[in-house]
Amino acid sequence: MNVFLISLIGAAIILDKYAFGEFGFSQPLISGTIIGAIFGNVTFGIFLGALLQLIFLGGLPIGSEIPPDGQAAGIIGCTSFFILAKVNSLEHALFLAIIFALSGGLIGGTMEIHARRFNEKLYYLFAKREEFLFPIHFAGLVTAYIRGLCLLLPIFIISSILIIPDAFPGLSKELLTIISVSIGLANGIYLFIKKTTMVYLIIGVVCGLVLLAL
Amino acid sequence: MRLGFTRFVKIFFSSLFIQTSWSFLTIQGMGFLVNLINGVKNDKKGSIIKAHKGYFNTHPYMVSYITGATIRAYDEGDTIEEIRHFITIAQKSFASKGDLLFWQTIRPALLLISVIIGIKYGIIGPILFLISYNIFHLYHRTKGITDGYNKKWDVIYLLKSRRFTAVQHVFEIIGSFSTGLLFTLLAIKISYLLLIPLTMLFIALIAKRYSAVLIILALLLLVIIIVLV
Repeated sequence: MNVFLISLIGAAIILDKYAFGEFGFSQPLISGTIIGAIFGNVTFGIFLGALLQLIFLGGLPIGSEIPPDGQAAGIIGCTSFFILAKVNSLEHALFLAIIFALSGGLIGGTMEIHARRFNEKLYYLFAKREEFLFPIHFAGLVTAYIRGLCLLLPIFIISSILIIPDAFPGLSKELLTIISVSIGLANGIYLFIKKTTMVYLIIGVVCGLVLLAL
Repeated sequence: MRLGFTRFVKIFFSSLFIQTSWSFLTIQGMGFLVNLINGVKNDKKGSIIKAHKGYFNTHPYMVSYITGATIRAYDEGDTIEEIRHFITIAQKSFASKGDLLFWQTIRPALLLISVIIGIKYGIIGPILFLISYNIFHLYHRTKGITDGYNKKWDVIYLLKSRRFTAVQHVFEIIGSFSTGLLFTLLAIKISYLLLIPLTMLFIALIAKRYSAVLIILALLLLVIIIVLV
């Protein structure tokens, strides 16, 4: 898959974050599935997307606060993994993909702030030319798309040219699962566990054990 | 007085773009204007731009309730002061309820259960999330328009209805249950010796309300340290 083409697709998926619809396509679990399908490995796409989803489960866009871009992190993590895995070992590709995903999430959050500041200029333009409300408003789609493209393209280009030496440390699937599940558990406990719902946590643990025993 | 199918469809599609031109200055101001203009009759469009130019901020899925009620008020010829007063109160009330219902409850609960199903059973997990999440999402987007139009100012009392309170309670239970499942189903094959202290660390970071940026930075550092060690 061409890095330019996958960047274009990734930037289109990111539009779902806030610029259009918010149907949930940009959530790492879903974008991981889509990217996995594009690269011909849906199972690993779902797995990686799910683990990144657990990391960014609690990133809540409440009010005007902008948290790190979990949606971009999901797309970056999954895509760069599949690009890196073509010429590198699974552990090396996984390690760098997670580093890229987390850094990309932080950079994406900062870029989003700049994109939204740029949108202020669109508002000033509208204040002067009220008759152009519709084209000015929809120009926000271009801002959001360009932000996505500027974020994804450099990371995917770097991923496509990186060959990691064997001496370089790698990240195993098990270790990544431990880290992701621990932050997912922390997010779940913080968001849902109260005195009134504690019993359902215990029921969940028991049901899990029963399912494992079966 | 009826909204009509054409206006309903126009409002619905423009509500999908409510945050397209999101800026720190007006938040969803232009999106809300586009939404209103698509719903009102032609002779009022100019005055609406003058009256509602500026700040507007609510939960993106809840905007339908406010748009529906505002359009009804314009259809009935209410004064701009009355309409502005309603919008000021309604946007805050729907914003806090929408954030609590969708961002803090329905979405993370459905994602949690879908992640577990996705890892265990593959493609069913993502499909389950997309279908179930969008049933609730699109229900509020569409029903909000008609309820807002039919109930006008009283639409605000819907915030105490079962579609908000009962649904939130059910998803808190689903989220809690899924957290329990996550602990056993996904974690059983991995080392609890590392999982439990890491979970405690992240709970402490989240509970102390450190910023999300700091938590991700800590995670980044942790991944590097664990791999190097």
